[in-house]
Amino acid sequence: MAKQKLNPAQRRYMRRFIPAMTAYVVVLFACTWVAKQYDPHGAALFILSLLPALPLLAVLVVMGVYLAEEADEFIRARLVTAMLGGIGITLAFTTVWGFLENGGVVPHFATFLAFPLWCGSFGLTQCLLNLRDRLSGGWL
Amino acid sequence: MNNRLRVLRAERAWSQQDLAERLEVSRQSVNAIETGRYDPSLPLAFKIADLFDMPIEAIFTNPAKEIGQ
Repeated sequence: MAKQKLNPAQRRYMRRFIPAMTAYVVVLFACTWVAKQYDPHGAALFILSLLPALPLLAVLVVMGVYLAEEADEFIRARLVTAMLGGIGITLAFTTVWGFLENGGVVPHFATFLAFPLWCGSFGLTQCLLNLRDRLSGGWL
Repeated sequence: MNNRLRVLRAERAWSQQDLAERLEVSRQSVNAIETGRYDPSLPLAFKIADLFDMPIEAIFTNPAKEIGQ
């Protein structure tokens, strides 16, 4: 199968997504380094702890903008389905884990991991949708 | 939803990519519509009908009537 070319909305998405993720990595390492070097407290610690989350919030906005800008209705519908699948898996996982954690049988689940968990679940749902299409005779 | 898109495309010797470019959608969309895995919106269905110069119901099978058959 030939490699798919990106449409204009997908190219814009990549142009926004890559800088946002790069900023996340840079900010995360910088904040970790500053926290270790200077051992900040109070407001400085609050800001330092918050900073790595901001590029990830930007990634969420970038994803939302892409959904709004994607002109191809089938691709848009696919994405929404995969995102809903990701939300379902994330909620199922965190609900079960939360009860197990409450019972003291599993360690604490850091809530900042919910976003990467959703990203993975979203990707997994896309793979399952592709597999279903292949098995039903379609190909993408 | 069953449709005659593949037949109409074949009659014109268009590939899925050719049809996709004429409709300004992705080839995946054409494939999904042809195989009945995706029902196009009304604007896209009208665009398809305009392209083939046919009424929508001559391209797409009315699911309500299909059940009655």
